[in-house]
Amino acid sequence: MRETIVGPFAGKFVGHAVRRVEDPRLLTGEGRYVDDVQLSGMLHAAFVRSPHAHAHIRNIEVAAARRSPGVVDIITGAEMETLVHPFIGMLALKGLYDPRFYALSSKRVRHVGDPVAIVIAESRAQAEDAIELVEVSYETIEAVANASDALDSRKPPLWDNRSNVLFDFANTYGEVDAAFAGADRVISHQFKEQRVSNQPMETRGIVVEIDPKSSAITVHAATQSAHMLKWVLALLSDRASIPASIKTLAINRDRVTRFAKSAKAILTAKPELKEPSPMMPAMVKQFRAEPSRFVDLQRAMLGLLAKSDNDRPEVLARDIGGAFGTKGSASREDLAVYAAARKLGRSVKWIEDRNEHLMGGGHSRDEIVDISMAVRNDGTLLGMKVSLTLDQGAYPAFPFGGSMFSQIIRVMFPGPYRVPVMQFNGKVVATNKGTLVAYRGPWAVETFVRERMFDMVARELGITAAEVRLRNIVTMAELPTPMITGPMLDVRMSAHRTLVDAIAIADYDNWPAAQLAARANGKILGLGIATFCEAAPGPPDFFEHSIPGSGALAGIEPAKIVLEADGMVAVITQQVPHGQGHETTLAQVAADQLGIPIEAIRVRYGDTKITPFAMMGTGGSRSAAMAGGVVTFAARELKERIVDIAADLMEASREDIVIEAGNVHVAGVPARGITLADIAVEARRRDQNAAPGEAIRVAQEFDGGEGGWTQATHACWVEVDLETGQVAIPRYVVVEDCGEIINPAIVDGQIRGGIAQGIGQVLYEKITYDDAGQFQTGTFMDYLIPTACEIPDIEIHHIETPSEIEANYRGVGEGGMVVAPAALTNAIENALAHLGVRISEPYLPPSKILELAGVIQTARSTAR
Amino acid sequence: MNSTNSRIAVAITVNGTAHELQVPARQTLAECVREELGLTGTHLGCEHGVCGACTVLVDGQAARSCLVLTVQADGATIETVESLANDDTLHAVQQAMVDNHGFQCAFCAPGFLMTIKALIDNQAVLTKATLREELSGNLCRCTGYASILAGAEAVLGLTGESNA
Amino acid sequence: MKMRGFEYHRAATLDDALATLSEFGDDAKVLAGGQSLVPMMAMRLSSPAHLVDTGKLTTHDTITETDGMIAIGMRVTHAALEQSALIATAVPLAHAAAPHIGHRAIRNRGTVCGSIAHADPAAELPAVAVSLNAQLVVRSTRGERIVNAADFFHGYLTTALEPDELLTEVRFPKRGAIAGASVHEVSRRNGDFALVGVAVHLEFAKPSTKKGAAVIANAGIGLFGLGGIPIAAVEAQSLLVGNPTSDDLFAAAADAVMRNIDPMPDNHATAQYRRHVAGVLTRRALADATNQALAAS
Ligand SMILES: Cc1cc2nc3c(=O)[nH]c(=O)nc-3n(C[C@H](O)[C@H](O)[C@H](O)COP(=O)(O)OP(=O)(O)OC[C@H]3O[C@@H](n4cnc5c(N)ncnc54)[C@H](O)[C@@H]3O)c2cc1C
Ligand code: FES
Ligand code: FES
Repeated sequence: MRETIVGPFAGKFVGHAVRRVEDPRLLTGEGRYVDDVQLSGMLHAAFVRSPHAHAHIRNIEVAAARRSPGVVDIITGAEMETLVHPFIGMLALKGLYDPRFYALSSKRVRHVGDPVAIVIAESRAQAEDAIELVEVSYETIEAVANASDALDSRKPPLWDNRSNVLFDFANTYGEVDAAFAGADRVISHQFKEQRVSNQPMETRGIVVEIDPKSSAITVHAATQSAHMLKWVLALLSDRASIPASIKTLAINRDRVTRFAKSAKAILTAKPELKEPSPMMPAMVKQFRAEPSRFVDLQRAMLGLLAKSDNDRPEVLARDIGGAFGTKGSASREDLAVYAAARKLGRSVKWIEDRNEHLMGGGHSRDEIVDISMAVRNDGTLLGMKVSLTLDQGAYPAFPFGGSMFSQIIRVMFPGPYRVPVMQFNGKVVATNKGTLVAYRGPWAVETFVRERMFDMVARELGITAAEVRLRNIVTMAELPTPMITGPMLDVRMSAHRTLVDAIAIADYDNWPAAQLAARANGKILGLGIATFCEAAPGPPDFFEHSIPGSGALAGIEPAKIVLEADGMVAVITQQVPHGQGHETTLAQVAADQLGIPIEAIRVRYGDTKITPFAMMGTGGSRSAAMAGGVVTFAARELKERIVDIAADLMEASREDIVIEAGNVHVAGVPARGITLADIAVEARRRDQNAAPGEAIRVAQEFDGGEGGWTQATHACWVEVDLETGQVAIPRYVVVEDCGEIINPAIVDGQIRGGIAQGIGQVLYEKITYDDAGQFQTGTFMDYLIPTACEIPDIEIHHIETPSEIEANYRGVGEGGMVVAPAALTNAIENALAHLGVRISEPYLPPSKILELAGVIQTARSTAR
Repeated sequence: MNSTNSRIAVAITVNGTAHELQVPARQTLAECVREELGLTGTHLGCEHGVCGACTVLVDGQAARSCLVLTVQADGATIETVESLANDDTLHAVQQAMVDNHGFQCAFCAPGFLMTIKALIDNQAVLTKATLREELSGNLCRCTGYASILAGAEAVLGLTGESNA
Repeated sequence: MKMRGFEYHRAATLDDALATLSEFGDDAKVLAGGQSLVPMMAMRLSSPAHLVDTGKLTTHDTITETDGMIAIGMRVTHAALEQSALIATAVPLAHAAAPHIGHRAIRNRGTVCGSIAHADPAAELPAVAVSLNAQLVVRSTRGERIVNAADFFHGYLTTALEPDELLTEVRFPKRGAIAGASVHEVSRRNGDFALVGVAVHLEFAKPSTKKGAAVIANAGIGLFGLGGIPIAAVEAQSLLVGNPTSDDLFAAAADAVMRNIDPMPDNHATAQYRRHVAGVLTRRALADATNQALAAS
């Protein structure tokens, strides 16, 4: 059944709340999420996991477990090391030590939930039965339970007898000391963000399908980047020794030539890769300090080179139940399941359960930030000093984790404000906690801290929170202007406008009076505002400012667009949507370019066999700008090709050909038009080499063009019950500018969903470990995701800064979550300000509210 | 493990079709419909009764299928999300969600749809505020709920009064 | 998250259920609504070798009135309790408590007797039972006994029930002529177990002529979310009885509540918080129950 979408009108789709193409499938139970994959003869995996935060593994006894009904195999950490290569961090940054680690731990466990063995059985229940029979003897080690433990040199090191500070960096922008010396006031504060977790409703999961006849491998996965997962699995699996790989290559010389050819093709297409990467010196240093690192990498690379096509997987990601960043990594479990399936030559399924997902499926935030602002008495900001400590847990996310986030935090710290000078010091530390992954704005702490700090500065100086922002925010007239950290704020960076509009909508000037009047009636009300801008995707060189040398790999968005033999158009993208509705939005963009109805387009994604290669997948608020852009330009090229053929067929000049609602005709005579199916027939007649089912294929890449920013100001009202500490949110307003909106319903959904997560962070959510590193939030009764009763109505006001730029689309995936914690916390502090309350951490459950307000005494909690 | 792997006879009617099954005692109704009957529209988000993704109707009433053993459902009539649409015609609740962009990843959708179906079938008397309570047993991590509430309000005919 | 295996027994009759329980004793557990037991089994926190399913004992799903008591059979669900007109008029406190229990889908399956037998200290119905001093009818092959709610709850998830015993019925006293009931609780999210909760039932001597000076004849205060068991606020109750209502009286009762409890901290709330809010909610619930009683009289 082809879904029909009733567009608001047939002419133009972009800008309208076109109904989602994916809905008829997803709302009837026809979706295919990874857990829906059922294969005959498929086995099930479960992991034996550490109950300890930090321990040596002394022995592991699996004999009894092997005899448990249904068990097919048990692979321990020691055996796994013969099957796979270690994860080797690819970021080469000065001052960074990136540990290597295996899919399973064999000698030491580093957090509760650390996998030490994988059990493969006929059913998941049987695998769990067997887990209980695996006997692991541990010798516990003192836990490094939090960042202050990590900074304490008396605590045991997690990695290779090194300091638990894995990354230490400092960047100075301008004459910081002079600016501070000349300031009227220097105001300082320490902020923390608690550890939270993405917790999509679908956990992680993978099904490794091995064709019993051809032994071809298909990996069904819930992943945000199919190509990334494919190449990580290919690179790290089937561990062979260097001589063995060389031998394989000697026998299969074609593999070497094939590699050389594709390398050459890549270098021709991207000559910038020929330049020595700015990462090189750091990388050489890493290798010199640790030669085995070089050997491991070479061994994995040679192994990859020596693999036949059949020894590499194809990844197939179909419907995905949310991710918010957590499925952007290739996990240790993914690799373990893959290795087990390869070893057994049988299909294996692993669906993470909620307890596993809470424990080890990815955490986020968990930073401490010390900040000083040098200001004049009128609120003018003269400079900032920022010192960040980021707790990335035990195992860095792969390929990118805390170290990378720390760099985006640094670059983004000034936000849309004039920051004349800045000192930024950062530390990324290792602790006995789960892995830190990206979560909707993994750099969000910059907004939280900066926007909270502006409120504190305003209070110190006796001016309003609006005033301090208005005095420092970059106005439209100043654009373009670079941030002190490098990236250019272009002429569309309208944060100032969002702030001014929000102040007006909130009737901000009358707030103090309204607040006092309410308090006289026993109502404790607060209003908070927060402003930000996000690189969505940012200027073309944004990544270069964060991680020099990463831009060439990260920056490019490819797409293919195909007129198929039957006249349908396929948009083929490397994006892997997981709720964002790309099947609709990319079709809207292509439909408008081509002049065809949206029903004539299908968006294909998630299958590495057909989608163009890129490592990024879906994430980072990049889809609208990058994929929207490349689809615009590719569709335009396809249209040119269609018009060429139409002009010939209709013996008209190219300029006179129009396509309207799928009808290709000479301007003014729609009745004599032809269809895309007719064009397809002619195209196939002309191009004998067209692939089966295809008529015209266009492939394009897009570097983001001018890129750009999304910006917003949020205003949040709260009412605090000073007897019970409960916080209600009577009103929430967003003013935002994400450029041209492709589908307003989808944009609003992204914003509201992000704000809900931000509200969750402040009022409900905290991943908790105790002082001994024991994990305490293993169920959905412990880790609280807000329900429909906890999320208020959210008013959204869009503004669009006019621009000549084509495909002026920018991302909105992350902003809601980035700004909401600051706006809500500011509102709560505003409500309690008359009690002298200052809030340093955005985790404000009812107990905390009453403690802050002085209603109850602060308990020394057992958990941090 | 003694006789715990033995199977037990169960007769259930799922989406109008009667089934006579032999199931392990520890199988949940969610596992039964998903694995035994291939109805994968019912999703498992937590398996411990909190998220509501697995909601189905048991004898016309909403229930979390991860907290019902198949053996307990003997003799019961079960409805899953697959029962809602009639060939190409969506059920009113599905159509309302399409019209209101109710869902994003839609992993939570089957639970919401069945919860709302039960409200419709049982002619629940609701306001916008009590609707929120009725839906508060279903977690959605993507939408912030506004779009789901809009769809539910539309299909339940709740208009007018403010959404307090 | 898959439960361990077990042997399943579908009880066809009450005697059948009792016989199986008596046969397996400690190794067996009753499966009622499953809304507490199944999640615990899924997490392998509880792994009984035998489950005795009472689901087919449908004759026990009635709510009836006898001798001034309202008897709730062991198959009565929270939803049936919530919707029962008899409960609404005769046991207003149970009626007020029902909507606070979890969510509709949980109330559709979970049973009143299951909740009381499970004895979660944060659950509403055990506190209601304590507040009203309900009678709990307990059966085994050894016979029947009636346990007062005051004697039923022994500790965290432990009760007076022996392994072979079944809670077959809970009996609540019918309300008096002028009575008010109110349940106030604070939970982290809508539908969550309470951080702190107070279930108050007040009876008044006779219609008061002057507003606000009604004399309390009988008071039941059940506290939940505070520690090992549901708590009857005995001192506060006796402070109230025989006195005309006033803000000061309610404040004194709240003080007595706060003084007599020793709440447990957890990740959701500190002990200090629970103590403080128990006082706040006591005041609020007393005021509510009073207003209700007097408005109706
Ligand atoms: C997400 C969620 C939220 C919840 N929120 C709340 C809440 O806010 N408030 C609340 O009160 N409850 C809540 N509950 C629990 C719910 O109310 C349960 O229904 C109730 O606690 C147990 O009743 P049941 O019939 O389901 O018993 P079961 O789960 O079947 O049994 C529970 C225990 O009691 C025993 N038992 C049951 N019946 C008998 C009997 N007749 N005789 C002897 N022993 C018996 C069982 O052996 C078992 O040990 C929630 C549950 C969930 C999953
Ligand atoms: S899967 Fe059943 S409630 Fe979450
Ligand atoms: S739409 Fe993704 S969880 Fe609800």
